[in-house]
Amino acid sequence: MIQFKNVTKVYPSGTKALDNVSINIEKGEFVFIVGASGAGKSTFLKLIMKEEQPTSGKLYVNGINTTDMPKRRVPYLRRTMGIVFQDFRLIDKMTVFDNVAFAMRVIGARPRAVKKRVHYILGLVGLKDKAQSRPAELSGGEQQRVSLARALVNNPTLIIADEPTGNIDPEMSFEIIELLNEINKQGTTIIVVTHEHELVHKFKNRVIEIQGGKVTSDTGAPSEKAELTIEISEEDLAEIPEEIAEEIPDVTAEELNREALREIDGEAADE
Amino acid sequence: MRGFGYLTKEGIKSVWNNRMMSAASIGVLVSCLLITGAAMLISMNVKNVVDQVGKDNQVTVFLKEDIDSVQAVQKIGPEIRKLDNIASCEFYSKEEAITEWEEELGPLFSELQGQENPLPNAFHVAMVDLSQYEDTVNNIKAVEGVDIISDRSDIAKRLTDLNRLVTQVGMWLVLALGIISLFIISNSVRMTMYSRRFEISIMKSVGATNHFVRTPFVIEGIVLGLISGVLASVIIAFLYEAMINAVKYIVPITEIPYSDLAVNMSIGFVVFGMIVGAIGALISIGRYLNMEGGEILGW
Repeated sequence: MIQFKNVTKVYPSGTKALDNVSINIEKGEFVFIVGASGAGKSTFLKLIMKEEQPTSGKLYVNGINTTDMPKRRVPYLRRTMGIVFQDFRLIDKMTVFDNVAFAMRVIGARPRAVKKRVHYILGLVGLKDKAQSRPAELSGGEQQRVSLARALVNNPTLIIADEPTGNIDPEMSFEIIELLNEINKQGTTIIVVTHEHELVHKFKNRVIEIQGGKVTSDTGAPSEKAELTIEISEEDLAEIPEEIAEEIPDVTAEELNREALREIDGEAADE
Repeated sequence: MRGFGYLTKEGIKSVWNNRMMSAASIGVLVSCLLITGAAMLISMNVKNVVDQVGKDNQVTVFLKEDIDSVQAVQKIGPEIRKLDNIASCEFYSKEEAITEWEEELGPLFSELQGQENPLPNAFHVAMVDLSQYEDTVNNIKAVEGVDIISDRSDIAKRLTDLNRLVTQVGMWLVLALGIISLFIISNSVRMTMYSRRFEISIMKSVGATNHFVRTPFVIEGIVLGLISGVLASVIIAFLYEAMINAVKYIVPITEIPYSDLAVNMSIGFVVFGMIVGAIGALISIGRYLNMEGGEILGW
């Protein structure tokens, strides 16, 4: 589905955003891309969307070498993907329906098809009754669901979400990732960029960590459990509220990680 | 073309949604069209006057002494009229000529009537285009029975030069104001685009082709041009008389009635406005079409 082959990206300013990255994301995978700010996560996504061009190396999306793709073909590549932004990027003066329909209209869909599909997708993200609301009347979580509906409406094979939970509360964040998981079950490849480790740990998906432009860890697909590592740092532990921490006597991050892995193995054995 | 109806609607809607900006662009474009139009109308009127003076400046074609009135009217007159560039050709008999001399110079000429009349028969010939003066004169001279032609080549040259000057000044003025109008509408569309850069970035991220991104803005430019053209046509109809009166105050001229110009002028304004609108929009959108995502939003 997506293949980075020794991809390096250096911006004109001299900043090396990605350094010799080689990675494979198969069709139907759900991948979290994690890393600190400025690690190269956004560049990773921009290269997939072909908003940026690699300085060296090759990049394949849907089996097509996008490195040499002519500019006029780029819109057609983007129609195979749906993009969810941290700031939702909804048009305030449009209703929820029109925001979602916008993505279909700009690629020349027929009005009848737009109406049918948008209602279906709004139902899918649980916003059917908000079709005529304006984005400003919705909560952050709902706005992100509209953004997700817009990304889904053209039936993409790939969804790219750039910090989709960055502007919403934790409960809603969980719901959004759950929704993405449901979409993934239908066969859509999902790439989520996030820096929320807690959220990543809750879902058993592949995690690729980028630091300083390099892939520093890759858990691989969930079936490859031998390689699965759940990282709970001492810093994470320190952030646990006092009343909960009191109930966990003398536990170390290492022990917690081991416990988590045992749970995953147990679930796998049950299955 | 699929989606064209939607894009057209979007373009028209945008004129209304950004009405303050649209009003400003229309205001400026109307002013530009009015100045351009006024320059053209004045130029057309001056050209008309020059043409009129040219037509009034007839050459006198004197016939040989042995040509009588009957021969002149029946034979030579039709031959001159057959030539190119002849606007009119009127017979001027030697009797009329001597009477005029008598009226102007006194009874001294009263004795030179009839057989004593020394003047030849002649024709007053006016030309369509004075710039072809030399050729036309040579053609007339070649007609059998023509003796000499009064030489007005200096006046012909001066009128031709004046005509050329007026046409050229008019053209440069229209060109200069056209460029100013283009600049104004392109700036106005650029501001609309800036206010809609968010939508443009979304359009691009969901896979809209450049054509789809461009079309609503071009339509917006065309609509602004169309509205400006119509408004300018209406306003100039009211201003024309006042404008001509102002010119008349400086130079006495016979104006062209506005009814003769109204249709061409209105079509000209509307077409010019629409072309300027479309080109202005194309100039502005080009910049955004080469940008991506955050770049469009200025992040």
